[in-house]
Amino acid sequence: MNHKTRVYDNVFEMLPNEENPSPMVRINKLNPSPEFTLFAKLEWMNPFGSVKDRAAWAMLREFEEKGEVGKGRGFVEPTSGNTGISLAAMACARGYHMRAVVPNKVPLEKKVLLKIAGAELDVVSDDLCPAPGLGEGSINLAKTHAKAQAAKYAMPNQYENETNVDAHYRTTGPEIWKQTEGEITHLFVSLGTCGTVTGASRFLRKMKPDIKVIAVQPTEGHDVPGLRNVTQLGVSKLFDASLIDDILEVEFRTAYTRALELCQTEGLLAGPSSGLILEGAREIIMRDKIGLGVMIFPDNIFKYTSNMMKHIPGLAAGTTA
Amino acid sequence: MSDYSNPEVLVSTNWVKENLGQPKIKMVEIDVDTKAYDAGHVRGAIAFNWQTQLQDQVSRDIISKTEFEKLVSQAGISPDDTVILYGDNNNWFAAYGFWLFKLYGHKDVRLMNGGRIKWLNEADKELTTDVPKPTPTTYKVTEEHPELRAYVQDVLEASKSGRINLVDVRSPDEFSGKVIAPPGMTETAQRGGHVPGAKSVPWSQAVSSDGTFKPLSELQKIYIEQKGVDTNKDTIAYCRIGERSSHTWFVLKYLLGFKNVKNYDGSWTEYGNLIRVPIEKGA
Repeated sequence: MNHKTRVYDNVFEMLPNEENPSPMVRINKLNPSPEFTLFAKLEWMNPFGSVKDRAAWAMLREFEEKGEVGKGRGFVEPTSGNTGISLAAMACARGYHMRAVVPNKVPLEKKVLLKIAGAELDVVSDDLCPAPGLGEGSINLAKTHAKAQAAKYAMPNQYENETNVDAHYRTTGPEIWKQTEGEITHLFVSLGTCGTVTGASRFLRKMKPDIKVIAVQPTEGHDVPGLRNVTQLGVSKLFDASLIDDILEVEFRTAYTRALELCQTEGLLAGPSSGLILEGAREIIMRDKIGLGVMIFPDNIFKYTSNMMKHIPGLAAGTTA
Repeated sequence: MSDYSNPEVLVSTNWVKENLGQPKIKMVEIDVDTKAYDAGHVRGAIAFNWQTQLQDQVSRDIISKTEFEKLVSQAGISPDDTVILYGDNNNWFAAYGFWLFKLYGHKDVRLMNGGRIKWLNEADKELTTDVPKPTPTTYKVTEEHPELRAYVQDVLEASKSGRINLVDVRSPDEFSGKVIAPPGMTETAQRGGHVPGAKSVPWSQAVSSDGTFKPLSELQKIYIEQKGVDTNKDTIAYCRIGERSSHTWFVLKYLLGFKNVKNYDGSWTEYGNLIRVPIEKGA
């Protein structure tokens, strides 16, 4: 492994850590205050394509070390796509099978990518008048597989597994600290399993207790994959409100229009969750004016073209002869 | 659960665990999403598919007496068996199955309180993918209870006279007419709103966070004190396709002990499609 020449013996050596951080790029045109320095941390530069590489790798290693996988036992995991894609590709490369349970509303691109990455796919309808307090269909179905066929499936459960948090405490947090040379004042994140916010915030607050942590969430009824509105956070055991200063709610369609702006003005081919975070960051920058902020951009745009076409009508026009 | 009007119609997950495998106890799983049973179920449970096995496949109706006899015979159920039903989504379709068993006069049918999710989340409860092969019986229906079912004429009459409670168990947005059906549902209607005079009590108000039914005192508070469902009147429950209303029908009739409760299985997908019936919109 040589991070300087970027020559590696296997793909896992490319996974991010303090020595090999995911890149941070300054936002130059969409930042509303000249006194505020704003960076985007591009998690899609990770080898399996998203921020979820971190949690997936940490959970896979945890299960390997405990002897929970192997000898015919693979993984089952509820996922809105990215954890599944990372985990499936990693698992297949290490010789384990993987079953991904996804909500039906996940974009087609992600479902197909899961299969390409080697996952067996279960699609469940999660929008069917959700039952109070009972979690979600995809989580329950994954739990069922893990319980009924324990010899075949181990379930990392990214919604409850502290290893998800620990991955960000050990990598994302220290990377940002080093990359900003301790100058960071604001951290901007979205909420999904809450592994990113809880882990990164826990580390950065330890280094500098007055860092402001801002979580951005889409409005209820949204269709931004991987993200959660606070009303949907019941399923995540990793949410820790004490580590967050502000939770901003952003109209979910803005996620798509801001993503388009990032693509067309900054040259960053960022996905809708990144667009949502940018909108939240802009609000805070206009309030606080001065500082150095880091936005954790979870994913790029490539898996979201169908959602983009849905919300930005002009995109579909002129695409056929 | 002992203070409910008819506590014998509910069993706990622990009771099921202790009694599993007894020859006169038959477990049946009925799910919204039939993938759930295939992924894992209570040992010995057979599955009914509510779409293909509990409904007539030609006209919109429940299965006929003959079809019911055939279905339960193949499931190895006898008239004197204790049938325990459970399923996903807080036992919605299990409650629909319960209603069907009662319509066709089965004596001892019960719901497993909390449904499959409670069982799933309890560490000491086993799930299996083994599918049982029951020995068929020759089940004969000896009595029927058509009084448990409401038709549109009953609903129109109830709305007009005000002498019968109408309980709309759908979500507040369906009741107000803001939406016609929950997002993504294929069964829908031409118009949104509710039957004039109906009281909105969403089905989910009857369950606790672990999926079990709320205690009697809480149910009484919600249905009788807060929503004003009159205990002296007969009652009709409805929803969109008749499954969520089976759940509330069960609550009103067996847990609260209302005396004459019917399930209107035609529900909004019938009513909201009819020409010139009165509809109210708004909360």
